[in-house]
Amino acid sequence: MLEIKDLRKRFAEKVALDGVGFAVRPGEMFGFVGANGAGKTTTMRIIMGVLKSDGGSVTWQGREVGYGERKRFGYMPEERGLYQKMRVAEQIEYFGRLHGMDQGAAGRAAAALIERLGLQERRGDAVETLSLGNQQRVQLAVALVHDPEVLILDEPFSGLDPIAVDALAGALQERCRGGVPVIFSSHQLDLVERLCDAVGIVSAGRMVAAGTVTELRAAESRTLKVVVRDPAPGWAEGLPGELLLQGDRQVLLTTEGDDQEILHRAVKAGRVEHFGVEQPSLTEIFKEAVA
Amino acid sequence: MNSLLLVARREILTHLRTRAFLIGLVVTMVIIGALAFAPKILGGPESFKLGTVNSQQLPLKAAAPDAEFEWSSFPDEAAAKTALLDGDVDAVLVNGTKVLTDGEIDSQLGVLMQSVNREARLGAAGVAIPPLAVESVGADTRYQAARTGIAVVLVVLLFMMVIGQSMMVAMGVVEEKGSRIVEILFASLRPWQLLGGKIVGLGVIGLINLVATLGAGLAAAFASGLATDFPPGMPGIVAWVLVWFVLGYAFYATLAAALASLVSRQEEVGNVLTPMTMLIMVTYIVGFYATSEPTGTLARIVSMIPPFSSMVMPVRLAASEVPMWEVALSAALMVAAVVGVLALGAKVYERAVLRTGARVKLGDVLRAAS
Repeated sequence: MLEIKDLRKRFAEKVALDGVGFAVRPGEMFGFVGANGAGKTTTMRIIMGVLKSDGGSVTWQGREVGYGERKRFGYMPEERGLYQKMRVAEQIEYFGRLHGMDQGAAGRAAAALIERLGLQERRGDAVETLSLGNQQRVQLAVALVHDPEVLILDEPFSGLDPIAVDALAGALQERCRGGVPVIFSSHQLDLVERLCDAVGIVSAGRMVAAGTVTELRAAESRTLKVVVRDPAPGWAEGLPGELLLQGDRQVLLTTEGDDQEILHRAVKAGRVEHFGVEQPSLTEIFKEAVA
Repeated sequence: MNSLLLVARREILTHLRTRAFLIGLVVTMVIIGALAFAPKILGGPESFKLGTVNSQQLPLKAAAPDAEFEWSSFPDEAAAKTALLDGDVDAVLVNGTKVLTDGEIDSQLGVLMQSVNREARLGAAGVAIPPLAVESVGADTRYQAARTGIAVVLVVLLFMMVIGQSMMVAMGVVEEKGSRIVEILFASLRPWQLLGGKIVGLGVIGLINLVATLGAGLAAAFASGLATDFPPGMPGIVAWVLVWFVLGYAFYATLAAALASLVSRQEEVGNVLTPMTMLIMVTYIVGFYATSEPTGTLARIVSMIPPFSSMVMPVRLAASEVPMWEVALSAALMVAAVVGVLALGAKVYERAVLRTGARVKLGDVLRAAS
């Protein structure tokens, strides 16, 4: 398990992290969300040792994460870094070798990733000639080439078209199924909701929520939504919540009150077209959490 | 260590493959080769065109065997004057008693003609004068001109190679810092391995360049016949040049890397490197000065002081004889300076290279380091 506990970091006058902590189990995909400047990148850079924290700890399988552990991590920083003039296949292989693979193994891993990420036609091209989406694929390949034990990815999906997103997501899910804990940050909450087993929400340097999407939903207040067609006027009088008029339909949204009584009144008032508890989307949970 | 070699290997392969490397190499080889032929083309032996009117040719060749003389005869003074004014001849001997020229006579030719004429007349009168025997009590100066020439070429070459490769190191450091590749790299290797690998790799490129250039120069010198003027001990001089290149390069490249790690953009490199370029310029100027005064007190003192010694000592070695103990002491001091600058430079680099954005102040880094 990768455990991040109570990370603190201050830049001059600004407190960047004020006790960030969460845990990611092997095989779990962890979505790290938060507004710009909330502390996601700082947290990831501390995990990767690019920054030193002022306090707190990062442990992997119970051991404090140091240089030796990080050598087996895969990292994709927010600001992409590749050798622009180096060729795609050589670059991926080079990073594999830096992580301790021999030439043969690194070459095979690079070839497999190039195929997996759909870069076959560009393997001999300099990185600078590639489109943004393809450069991002190479960047991911660099993070994956040494078959890392842990994956830390800062905004891996930003700026990608849906096809590239699917290619990257597929590659990540594959690793995840193989037992690798994956942490990635993103502003695309629908994507996080779709891919992630667990989510952590950070706001102004603090964790405001962490858990599985289901857990987060359960913690949210549940909204009952009733849609009635051509109801008798005044049917909802005295009921809690708000009533919306949509043509000949009336919609009642409420978070309190006795649902059975509401149903009973609705049936008497007119034709009930919808009756159910709304699942809050991650976007709603997020807005609620950081509000 | 393995990572360091991987980094070095990448640098070497990357640079060997660029067109700039190949073109630069060919251009320097051609220039140095041309230099070896230059004395023959520009200088060559002295040659004079002479004329006679009603006179015997003077035995000038016997008195000046290195010079070439071409004689022609004219029927009368008028024809000789026309030829002189047209520049067809340098001087004309008339009736064995006077010399016509167009303006001032070439001083060497004048002295030569006068003395040969005098000797011929005296000889005719039965007076024989044994020539003066010349004996040098000072150092053997037979090779002095060649030695000075070699020293000049070497100091220019060393300067070009050291500053060129140090700039490459600086650009590479900023490339990795600016693009944040360092963030990924540092997950798999230590800062000193990245820095060391870069310096070693680009140093090997520099050595390849230097060896190829020296090789081209020597080959051309043998081809042109210039090599016959070379002093004994040329292989030793060449070997020392390589050693001093390595030492000088290690010093300046480390300095360049440390300074470059303070900035994040290529445009800022020139600016931040100013202290290093100034230092290397001073080294070069002192080295160049030493080519004319290789045995002077200034050259002897400065050839002991790092980093100036990295160019002044090879100049002294090429331009004069240097006691072995002086070379050894100077090299030892330079090695110590390299070790010192490596330790400090690596620390600065490690602390500054992850601090992207605005230029990092050297003072801040050094304070944090202490």
